[in-house]
Amino acid sequence: MGRPPPIPWRSRAPPPPTRPDVVAARRALRSGSPVVPSLSRRAFLAGLTLAAATACGRSSPVGRGTAAPGSLSIGAIPDQDPEVLQRLHGTVADSLSAALDLDVTYTPVTDYGAAVSLFRTGDLDLVWFGGLTGVQARLQTPGATTIAQRDVDTDFHSVFVVQSATGLAPSDDLRPLAGLRFTYGAETSTSGRLMPAWFLQQAGVDPQGFPGGPGFSGSHDATLQLVASGSYQAGVLNEQVWAARTAEGAVDPSVVAYARTPGYHDYHWLLGPRAADLAGPLRDYFTGLRADDPDDAAVLDLFGAGSFVPARASDHDRIEQIGRELGLVT
Amino acid sequence: MTALLERPAAVAPRLRRDRRRWAWGLAALAAVGWSVAGALDGVNPAGAAQVGAFAAAALSPAVDGAFLGVLATAALVTVAYAVLGTALAVLLGALGAGAAARTTWGRRRLGRLGRLATRGVLAVPRGLHEAVWGLLLVTVLGLDPWVGVLAIGLPYGAVTATVFGALLDEVPRGPYEALRAAGAGRVAAALYGLLPRAAGGLLSYACYRLECAVRSAVVLGLVGAGGLGYQLSLSFSSLRWPQVWSAVYALALLCLAADVAGRAVRRRLAAPRRRAGVLSRDRVLTAAVLGTLAAGAWSWWFLALSPASLVSARAREQVGVVLRAAWPPSADADLLRSVASAAVGTVQTSVLAIALASVGAVVVMGVAARPAGRCPPGRRLAGVLVRLALLLLRAVPAPVWALVLLFVLLPGVLPGAVALGVYTLGVLGRLAGEAVEEADAGPRAALGALGAHPVAGWLYGVAPVVAGPVLAYALHRWEVTVRDTLLVGLLGAGGLGALLASELATFDWPAVATVLAATVVLTLAVDLVGDRARRALR
Repeated sequence: MGRPPPIPWRSRAPPPPTRPDVVAARRALRSGSPVVPSLSRRAFLAGLTLAAATACGRSSPVGRGTAAPGSLSIGAIPDQDPEVLQRLHGTVADSLSAALDLDVTYTPVTDYGAAVSLFRTGDLDLVWFGGLTGVQARLQTPGATTIAQRDVDTDFHSVFVVQSATGLAPSDDLRPLAGLRFTYGAETSTSGRLMPAWFLQQAGVDPQGFPGGPGFSGSHDATLQLVASGSYQAGVLNEQVWAARTAEGAVDPSVVAYARTPGYHDYHWLLGPRAADLAGPLRDYFTGLRADDPDDAAVLDLFGAGSFVPARASDHDRIEQIGRELGLVT
Repeated sequence: MTALLERPAAVAPRLRRDRRRWAWGLAALAAVGWSVAGALDGVNPAGAAQVGAFAAAALSPAVDGAFLGVLATAALVTVAYAVLGTALAVLLGALGAGAAARTTWGRRRLGRLGRLATRGVLAVPRGLHEAVWGLLLVTVLGLDPWVGVLAIGLPYGAVTATVFGALLDEVPRGPYEALRAAGAGRVAAALYGLLPRAAGGLLSYACYRLECAVRSAVVLGLVGAGGLGYQLSLSFSSLRWPQVWSAVYALALLCLAADVAGRAVRRRLAAPRRRAGVLSRDRVLTAAVLGTLAAGAWSWWFLALSPASLVSARAREQVGVVLRAAWPPSADADLLRSVASAAVGTVQTSVLAIALASVGAVVVMGVAARPAGRCPPGRRLAGVLVRLALLLLRAVPAPVWALVLLFVLLPGVLPGAVALGVYTLGVLGRLAGEAVEEADAGPRAALGALGAHPVAGWLYGVAPVVAGPVLAYALHRWEVTVRDTLLVGLLGAGGLGALLASELATFDWPAVATVLAATVVLTLAVDLVGDRARRALR
């Protein structure tokens, strides 16, 4: 038995040579798709590597640059006009980098929750938190240190405001508010949500029970605008913002103060674990700001503070407890 | 003779009412009535001053150099997100197309199961809005450009896989079968037998996705991922209307560029050029594809994407923390009740929005259509103005409309519905105008030649022809609107979105998981209803 004869239509003879790019172009044309000049695989890979390599040496236009040891990224909850915050924290960043010889950058964020998340992920090292967001951030970030707070933060207040069309005269009785369309500030604001809700509950008003449910304006300035327009008949905001806007004459005359809450602890600086060794110098820097020094006074003035005082985590135990009761801390 | 008589007389085709269509029509009317009843909150004329200030600033946008520089960088970030997000989506779509195609699975029972499983897997990324993906990704990745790329790429990838699968199903299977019969493997046979025939459709769809991605990238900025939307939201919270309008004009320019370029490329793809009967190379298309590839490489460099940060210890740790916290989802009775009522609010908002947009689109579509042939300059000018207005309506993101309208409409369903209605009118008006352009001009010309009044000619010659396509577009946009309702809610206008925002704000992960699951189920249900209704229209 010899080998079977070769089947003619299965001959192994090599096909006539064709240039591969011609085949590719012909194929593309037949399918009606555009012809892309073919790139050799090696050139393609080299280009890719080059692109990736150049990308590595560059800092992204979004997000933080490099987390170099000599750098500190600061942030703040967006509780008021972002332009005001930019000016305020831009000044703080300059002053801090001069005092501590660090590269300090300010990164604005769009909402309260993002500030907490970015603190947890380590994108923000030093954040100006409210009472409640500070508690949230501390509970989620092992190794976070409370640094300092303003003198005014140890006894902070909120102001309930109403539309003058409601005809309500200032009073300490919060119950008349229950029948009005009402807006808080941001959902996790301490002075715009947590403590007012708590005091409303103490006065016998369901903090979630306003007609159509309470609104969340997002910030203290937005609360003022929405009450001024009449979309909401009443709202509540941070007393400091209220006082500042009143002094600037920026408050619409149709918005009037109705009641002032008792005092509580609020804003503070919280430091993340990545920069934990800066806790001492930072505390010294903030508590060392003096109103009689013109540079320091600029910072203190923007913060609306006479001075900064050291703060401890336990200062906000009451906030944490109230947050748990209202279901805002889990 | 008898044979002739025995032949049945020809029956004149009788026009009958299609019961199915009537049922769908009545159901739609009932849904609109129910939603209107839920929205009777009234208006607040006192807030007109604020809206007036917003509108007045349209004529005096901020043009100082520093701000324009910021906007230019932001626009580049937005474009880079859109390009890379689409690239990722096309990659995922190409990988998933095989699994999504009907032909892969065959008609046997096991095949049907496999197809259902794939659909289920794809439904989750599709069911969540890009902004929701953005918010979730920010919490685990922090400030990283990957957030924007993944938030566009994942949901778009799932949609693209489905569409690519359907495109592969439509290709004639002769070449594939022949290759298989000749002994080629499945993959090789699909690559050489199916892919070349489907290439035009695939490329055209990828191009359409790129157009959509520009809009999505803007929305991502609104939730904090950088780019034009981010600048817009910062200016908005400062209530700096001139800056808001500068950002809006920048957006409109970007959207216009994407619209025009995308449509030109897709038109060329649909009708390949022939020279002397032979398909010839289209230089414009070649340049477009090469340009897009170059833009992709540039975007990678510009955003400084680093694959390492996706698999870094930090990212893995954060994903672990969130997933552990979110499982099992909360089944608290109070939460489920509020999820149910929020879902009802979401549906009402979307129905109202699409009703508003459809009525508006029908009113403007005649003027928005580019007239064929010669026409008086006044008509031409009106068309240009209407098309520009529609472009502006869809260039302002719906959440911005909602926040502006909150000044004149009392809180509730209405601000969100009107905002989405206005935005959707921008999209639907354009689609309806194009439907009018593409409609057969014969009936109308005939009526005109017989001496009919132009209005009558339009009513009897054009309206019946375009009613079908416009209704189909409206149904499709309704599905999109339900997703957008979530986005508007996320930024403060009620419904499931607002619920999700408040659970995210308190970091209640089990509740977040429940709300997300409800969202996916709702969008799936809406897609199903829309699909059935459109089938009844055909």
